[in-house]
Parts: sequence; structure tokens; C-alpha cells
Amino acid sequence: MKITTRKMLDRSFSSFGLFSIVLMILALLVILVPIFKRGSTAIVFNGTVEHRRFLLERFERGDEQEMASEITAIQAAQKPVYDMIEHFENRQRKYLDALNEPLTKLAKRSDSIGRLTKRRLKRLDKNKPFLTNVKTIQKLTDRLKGHVDSDNIQAEIEQLDATIQKIETQTKNLVELKEAIRELLGPAPGETRPVLLRKQYGQTRWDRAQVKLHEVLYIEKWDYSNEGMGRKVFEPRVEHFRGTEIEPLFDYMETNTEAMLRPQLTFYWGFLTDKSMDIHIFGGIFPELLGTVYLTLGAILFAVPMGVIAAIYFSEYARPGIIISFLRICISTLAGVPSIVFGMFGLAFLLNGCHLPKGVLAGSLTLALVILPTIIRSAEEAIRAVPRTYREAALSLGASRWRTVVTVVIPAALPGILTGTVISMGRAAGETAPIIFTAAASVAATLSLNPLQVWDQPTQALSWNIYNLCTEHEAANEIQHVLFGMTATIILVVLFLNLFAIILRARISKKLKGETT
Amino acid sequence: MKRLNQKRIKNLWAIALLAVALVTPTTWAKETDQLVLDGSTTLGPIAKAFAEYYMAKNPGVNVTVNESGSGNGAKSLINRTCDIASMSRFMKAKEFIAAVNKGVMPVAHVVAMDGLPVLVHPSNPVKALTVKQIRDIYSGKITNWNQVGGPNLAIVMISRDTNSGTYETFHKLIMTHKVDGKKIKEKISKKAEYVGSNGGIRTRVQSTPAAIGYAGLGFIDKTVKALKVNDIYPTRETVTSGKYPISRPLFMITNGYPKLGSHTHAFVTLYLSEKGQEIIEDIGFVPVTKY
Amino acid sequence: MSVTVLKKTSILNTPSDNLVLSSRANLAQNILAWIGQSFLFLVTATAAMIVLFIIFYIAKNAIPFFQIQGLTEFFTSAEWYPSGDPPAFGVLAIMLGSTLVTLGAIVVTVPLGVAAAVCLSDILPFSISQTIKPIVEILAAIPSVAYGFFALVIFAPLLQEEGGRLLMVGWYLLAVPFLFIITIVISEMLTFKITHESSRKTARTAALFVLGGSFIALLIFVGNTLGNLTITTGTNALNVSIILGIMALPTVVSVSQDALQAVGRELRDASYALGATRAETLIKVIMPAASGGIFIAVLLGIMRALGETMVVWMASGNAAQIPSPWFNYLQPVRTLTATIAGDMGEADQVTGSSRYHVLFAMGLILLMFCFLCNLVSEWIVSRQRKKLRGEN
Repeated sequence: MKITTRKMLDRSFSSFGLFSIVLMILALLVILVPIFKRGSTAIVFNGTVEHRRFLLERFERGDEQEMASEITAIQAAQKPVYDMIEHFENRQRKYLDALNEPLTKLAKRSDSIGRLTKRRLKRLDKNKPFLTNVKTIQKLTDRLKGHVDSDNIQAEIEQLDATIQKIETQTKNLVELKEAIRELLGPAPGETRPVLLRKQYGQTRWDRAQVKLHEVLYIEKWDYSNEGMGRKVFEPRVEHFRGTEIEPLFDYMETNTEAMLRPQLTFYWGFLTDKSMDIHIFGGIFPELLGTVYLTLGAILFAVPMGVIAAIYFSEYARPGIIISFLRICISTLAGVPSIVFGMFGLAFLLNGCHLPKGVLAGSLTLALVILPTIIRSAEEAIRAVPRTYREAALSLGASRWRTVVTVVIPAALPGILTGTVISMGRAAGETAPIIFTAAASVAATLSLNPLQVWDQPTQALSWNIYNLCTEHEAANEIQHVLFGMTATIILVVLFLNLFAIILRARISKKLKGETT
Repeated sequence: MKRLNQKRIKNLWAIALLAVALVTPTTWAKETDQLVLDGSTTLGPIAKAFAEYYMAKNPGVNVTVNESGSGNGAKSLINRTCDIASMSRFMKAKEFIAAVNKGVMPVAHVVAMDGLPVLVHPSNPVKALTVKQIRDIYSGKITNWNQVGGPNLAIVMISRDTNSGTYETFHKLIMTHKVDGKKIKEKISKKAEYVGSNGGIRTRVQSTPAAIGYAGLGFIDKTVKALKVNDIYPTRETVTSGKYPISRPLFMITNGYPKLGSHTHAFVTLYLSEKGQEIIEDIGFVPVTKY
Repeated sequence: MSVTVLKKTSILNTPSDNLVLSSRANLAQNILAWIGQSFLFLVTATAAMIVLFIIFYIAKNAIPFFQIQGLTEFFTSAEWYPSGDPPAFGVLAIMLGSTLVTLGAIVVTVPLGVAAAVCLSDILPFSISQTIKPIVEILAAIPSVAYGFFALVIFAPLLQEEGGRLLMVGWYLLAVPFLFIITIVISEMLTFKITHESSRKTARTAALFVLGGSFIALLIFVGNTLGNLTITTGTNALNVSIILGIMALPTVVSVSQDALQAVGRELRDASYALGATRAETLIKVIMPAASGGIFIAVLLGIMRALGETMVVWMASGNAAQIPSPWFNYLQPVRTLTATIAGDMGEADQVTGSSRYHVLFAMGLILLMFCFLCNLVSEWIVSRQRKKLRGEN
């Protein structure tokens, strides 16, 4: 082969290596950047007055007087909207009342039309929602159309029908509009307070508020006139209300949304320290974080003593032989067991076999098995890294083997053991499959801060709840920021643990270098 | 060095003691009352909202909700690992027998009604299907949307996992039919994708133009389109009246009728209260009784 | 033996004592040491035996299934209707699904991972590769549920909307340089034997043109086919394979990097001294020498991909079908791990139905496979050790 070709091959080989490294970094960025970018919006976002009202009312954070003045301001800004709606409603009511006269006239007739009308009119009730009454009359005129016997009545009924039809569409449109506005601004003044928390507040986030504003202004429709798939079209809602009192409402809302919601740049650190309200539509992820912390610490508690003892045995006492290599194979096999099999084993043995309750204890025991091999390996490495001279010095002073290990080797290896422990903590915090059957629940009370009370409590650990919320939540689209925030949080937790371990390791290697030279 | 070491050993002792304390759970008594729900993801929104409401009302009570499927709910009730099994189907005969053999007497409370809307992507021009068409789609006889009046696009079937009551209901009401007086259960095509939850179905349908799926009434929003089935659109009215062909009751099942005044009793009768009904309605299901 | 004796004999605390121990004290100390050592051994053995207990327990729960249903259906049928009436427990399609996504992950991860390892160990300067190492560690540290979330929420819709074009770009990115090099190398090889200088040149140009033209045609044809591809569902085997490939990357990179570095400086120097380029040295000398370690890296990658649950559960579509044709990566598949995670809920744990035990049978298959992989890698390690010892 020519030397130039060989050189080219050499270069392309190197560039393929570089390319794969670049690809790896790119993959990392592609995964992390969107998660962090959208996850950060869980904490830093444009919060509306509703967000502050929520915090004040539910978590008692914020200034009450400031809130009061803010509320007066937004009420003033919102007043025209509700006034317009009220005028419109009154007008519709008047239209309906005007129908009273011809209807009672009809009811006085002695034929079937009269009887039918009478029966229907009895169902009218001022206390019922307006739309229900409208619909009652609408049904009546609908039935009457089939009963008509003479021409002069027919015209009358048809006119009645047309009027009621118009009232009905207008009212329906109004109900839709009111619902859209309620979603944006929260319940109208004077409305009874809903039970469900998500209905008690308007949009707490400015980005969501703009989406909802768009829904107020436009109706989303799908156009199927073309062949193939439909196209999304937005129909201005104002078209439904041309020439009515409500027509100016849309312009007003579009220009005055800021006055009505008063967005402010908000740092909501409570995302990490608040409990969730109404299944993560409001509030933070503290219970999840706490659950993860408990599970992780529990796993460490069980795995570290056992792992360190095993490591001591392997590095200090074990003499090579069949038994030891067998034990080593066992441990490396344990490291290769798929995490779901651990979960399965936890379920079958701990829950079904030992009748432990589904909860933190069962979960941490299962997780302890997952991280045990990592701990044994890293501890063994750390112990082996302790220079021989240390041991020799201790032994020459007459210390027994055990004493040497406890007083000299372990303290010297402690940073290394700690590094391994911290890395396994990251692993335990991120694992999901082992805790699905053993510890996870969708909704559970926030764990108490007293560790002795939580052992039998199931918990919504962070990793599990990411899965659970993004596949199971009925309003997953509304809480995207929470989902991304949770994912970013769990990645950050694990990364911080790893960073900590890296720093620890760097310090050890420095120390070892310093001591050996 | 030595003193430091002793301190460390003391710490080790403390940790060891803590570990011992953790594994001997009988030494302390529970201070809070606990209420454990297990079962359907369809009932999930109701159960979760009830749980939050109940915990807010009774601060001393821990309500835990697991959404792991109706089958799991039944299992937990039989194993006595939960107080209330929330199920989107009734207990099967086998489960009932297992329960009775274990001394558990299942008592069902119908908390709400639910329809199973058949969902497609909103860009899909298909507006209505018959039960037979849905059956043919899911059994793999119809594979393209143009066979039911839609565009030329291969159908992506999405089904709930087999451990869900939603799946069982769908299977019973859609996939089972009578030919010459004989009941035939059609199998759902192997090509169907399985999703572990109602929300998952909606997520998949809203992001897949060619998809068809089914989920609980409470999971419909603007991002998916519910189809008319046999010319009936799933609404609260058509579900309550039973006109909509795929309707079902949702159950909470307890072991025996709960003692009056117990938390279990208060919880399973929450649906009778006005607040409870409002919650059910707001979440998108149909309350059983209307005052 | 009284406590006082023990106290007296614990040496370091009482330096005034004689350094020479009485025989009684010596015995006591020996016994104590023996007890301590056996305690250590006991704990270690327990830690190690856990895996045997797990295998035993899973097997114990799996055997009833085979007793009731037999082996044939499990391994040869693709009918998976565990809740049907009568139920069908054919796991063939699910095993194939697991195989498919694992294979896909390996195809993604092994070339990239080994190339990256080579680059980190031999090509890049030490300081740069030291700074890149944390990136590999971060990739390894990201929890699987975060990968699953990414696969489901971001990647699946992207594949669905832009999938064809993404694949096309990927194809061009990989194939253009590769085919370019191949063209040159092959035309060199073909004309290598021609001795006459000028005729060789013309022959080479001709070969270049012919090969280049056909490769360009192939390039464009495949590119267009990929570009026009519509992916109906984003949660498919391809999605999962790519994500699993990325997840397995760190394992493959770090293990094969260790293997490459374990090959001594001498081999490299010798090869360079003979005039080999770096690529030739690495491919013909170093990589064969490190082949055992690289193979172990691949095995570990396979184990990681096969055992992963959350990603496949969230983003593989979970359809228990054999794709048609069987290698169609654009169709949803179901894997063993996802089936265990998804179906355990319904499985009747009280009475222990087949449906419960079949999941353990699946778990047992996973376990056995991992055990096998482990034994193979263990065997490779011991063989290498022997070889090294022999060489020394």
C-alpha cells in the first residue's frame, strides 16, 4: 500500500475515534440540555399573582398586605371582563323572559300542544342553571314542531324555535368562554369555591397563562376538508360574539392580561422543599426527595457494613483458593444481575415470603443488594491501595492483624471507601426497577422526619414518580415543568454525589502522591 | 490518632445500634392511622384527589394510593395488604373464591361511572366507528385507516396492559361478540402496543397521528379526539343513561362492610357527599348519584 | 477463660507487659483471631451467597410454571396472552424483542465505545483524556429513569416527526467518510499487483471512478429511502436501541480503555519501530492483544442493555409481537424486563398462578444469561492471567 494511503487510513482512524468521543459528548448534551433547560423552569419562571396567592394561602409565605393591595389591583383590572359577561347574561335572560308571554299563551290551549307546553313549563326553575332552562324550552319547541296542525301556529312556533335556538348557542358559547376565562384567571368573584384545588386558582405560571389566553381568544378546530390528515385551525372566538356586549372583551383581555395576572420573575425554591398539592399541579417535590433520601440512606446502612467487612476479608485475610475465587465469581455475578430481578426477588422474598410491608425497609434492603457489589469492589480497591509499609510498620510494633486492619488500614482507606459509598449512593438514588414492587406508591403522606416511623411506609421516591407522573398523571401536559424539574433534580442529585466522589478521589490521589514521594 | 479512632468506633456502634433498631420493628407502636388503597390507574385520579382531600381534612391519617392495576388491587385486598381495592372492573370469580378462602369478604362500593372513549389523534378525520369496526381494528383485520374512511395510514393500536380493568372492560364489551348464539372472544392483535396507564395511552395517542387507543373518561382533553361509537358520543349523559356502548361502573372494594366511624368507611362513602361528587365531576368522571 | 486474662493479653494497651506471650495467652489470642476471622468469612460468604439465594429463590418460583405448562410453549410460541382464556404463555416474541434491542444497542455502542476507548488511551494527550473521563462517568451516572423519560418524552416524538430525515442525516454522516476511505483502499488493493507504474495509475483511477460511482449511487439510494421513511410510532426498537446504546457506552469505553492500557508500552514501541502507523499498531497489534478485555467490555455492555428495565418499559412500545420482517426496528417490541415490570401487578401472588410463575421463569432466563456472560468473562480473565504468567 502506498504510504499516503496508509497515512490517510491512520488519520481517518484517529478521526473516527475523535468522532465517537464528540458523538458521546453530543449525546450527553442532547440529553441533558433540554432536561435542564426545561427543568429549571420549575424553579425560575414568571409567576403570576395566582402563584403568590397560592403560596400565601397554602404555605403562609409572602406579605399579606402586599397581597391585599395586589388583589385589589387585579380585581380592578378584571372587573370590566366580568361586567361585560354579566351584561351579556342579563341580555340573554331578558330574551328568555320575553318568551314567557307566547309560551304561556300556548300553554292555555286545550289541545296536545297546550298540554305539552304546560308540562314543560312546569320544569322551568329559576334556581336551575340558565342553560338547563334554555334546553328545556328548546326541547319543547322541538317537540312542538312535530305537533303542528294549523299554519298560523306553525309560524309562531318556528319563530319561537329560532329565538330559543339563538339563545341556546349564545349561552353555550358563553359557558365555554367562561370556562376558558376561569382556567386563566381563577374562579369569578362570587362563584362558590370549588373543592378541587386546581379549580381554585388561575394560572400560576405566565407561560401557561399565555397558552390559556390563547384558548380564550381562539377556538381550536380541525379542518378535514383536504384529503389525508386534518389540519389545526384557530378560529377567533370573537366571531361568536360579534355585535354583542362581549365583543370588546377579547381586545381588552389581550391587552390587559399582564394587569390581570401581574407576572413577576419568581425563584420558587419551594419546589425542592414544599410538599406537592393536588398531585403536583401545585407545590414541590419534597416528599419525593425525602423518600429518595430515606431509601438511599437505608440501602447504604445495610450495604456498607457488610460490603466493607467482605472487602476486608478479601484483601487482608483471604488466601487464594477455590472457595475465594468462587465467592468472587458470586459477587461479580451479583453485580450483573438485572435490576428488575432484584425487584422481583424483593417482592417474592421480602414481601411475599417474609411478610414485610411494602415500604422503606423493604425498598432499602432491595437497593442494598443492588449496590453491595459496587461497595465491596471499591472498598477492596481502597484497602489494597494502602501501602504495604503501613501494615508492616503496624505489625512490627506488635499489633495483631485485626488491630492493624482496624487502626491503620481502614482509616487510611477510609476516603477511598467513602468514595465508593458515595458513588453507590448515586446508583441507589437513581434506581427505579428494584423499588417498583417493594417501596413505591403514587400518593403517600410525606414521610415523617423521624426515621423510626417510616420503615413500613411506602413512599413516592423521585425516580419512581418520574415514571409514574409522566405516564399516569391525568394532567401530564399541564405539569411538564414538574416532570422536567424532577428529572433534572434526580440527575443533579446523582451528579453532585459523583462530583463529590471525584473530588474526594482527587484529594486521595494527591495525598498518596504527597506521602509516597 | 488513637482517640480519633475510638471516636470512630463509637460512631460505628451508634450506626450498628440504629441498624438493629431498624430491623426490630415491633418495639414501637404506630402513631398515625393508615389507609392503603391499591388498584386501578383509571380510578387513580379519583383516589388521589380523595386522598388529598381526606388527608387535608384529617391530619392524623396517612392515605397511601398505589396505582398498579385492578388485578393488583384485588390481590392486595385478598392478601390484606390494602384496606380498599380500587377496581375498574368487578372481581373475577377466581379472585372472589380466593378471597373467601382467605376469609376476606369483598364488598363493592360503586363510586362513579366511567365510559371508555375510543381515542384518535385530532388530526385524524375519522369521526365515528362501530363496535364491529373497533373490534376488527384491534383484532388485526383492519390495518389501515382508509378501510374505515380515513387517510391511507397504517393504524397504530394502543392498548392498556393486560393487568388493567380498562383492558378487561374493553375486552368484554368490544372484543367479545356472539356468532350464531356462541360467544367468541377475539384476541387483541399481537401488533398492539401496550401501555401501563390511562395517561400513557393519551400521551401516545396525542403524539401519534395514526394511533387509536382507549382510556377512561377522565383522561380526555383537547389533545385527543374521542370517537362516536355506534353513533353515540361519550358524554356524561350518554354514559349515565347507558346509551354509550362502552360504559362501566368504578368500584372501591373493602373487606366486609367497613365499620361505621372508621376511616375506611368515611373514605369509601366520600363519593356520596356533595364535595366528593364535585371532585368526581371535576376530574371528568360521572358521579353515581346526583342531588 | 476469664475476661481478665483477655484484658491482660491485649498487648498494645499495656506496653509494660512482656512482649513474649505465655502459651496460654497465645492460645487465647489465636482462638480470638480465629473467631474473628471466621466471623469475617461468614459475613463475606453471606454477601457472596446472596446471589445464589436469589437464583435459588427465582428458580424455586419459576419451576412450578414449567411443571404446569411444560417447556415447549414457553420457548417456541409467540402467543403471549397471559390473561386470555385459556392463557397463552409463549415467550418467543418477548425473548426476540430483548435480543433485538440488545443487538441494536451493541451495534450502536461497540464501534463507538471501542473507538472512543482507543482515542482516550492512545490518541489524545493524557491531560485531555483525563478531562474527558468525567463525561463518561456522567453518562454512566445518569439514572435509567431519566434516560427513559428522555426516550419517551423527547426522543419518541422527534423520531416520529423527523425520524426519516434524522436517519438520513445519520446515514450520510457515517457512510460518506466510510465509503470514501473504502473506495480508496479497495482501488489500491485491486491495483497493487500491477507492476507497471503508469498502467497502475490509470487502472487505479478507473477503479476509483467505478467504485466511487457505484458507492455514490448506493449512498443516495439508501439516503433517499431513509429520508422518505415514515415512522408511525416513535416508541419502537430503534428508539430503545439507541438509548440503550448510549447507556452502555460508558461501560464499554472504560472497560476497553483499561484493557488497552494494560497492554504494555513495549508492544507499542516495537510496532512503531517497525514503521507501522498508529492505526496499524492499534488495529494489528494492540487490539488483538487486548481482545480479551474488549470482549469482556462487549459482554458487560450486553448485560447492561439486556438488564435495563425503565427505558424499555417506557419507550419500547411493549407489543408482544415478532416484527415483520423480524429485523424491522421501526416496530414496537416487548422485552423480558419490561414484561416482568408491567405484568407483576396482575400476577396472582396469593395462589401462585402460572401467570405469576411465568414471570419468574423470565427472570430466571435473564439471570442464567447474565451468569453465563459472567462465567465467560471470568474464564477470559483467568486465561489471560495464565498467559501473562507464562510469558513472564
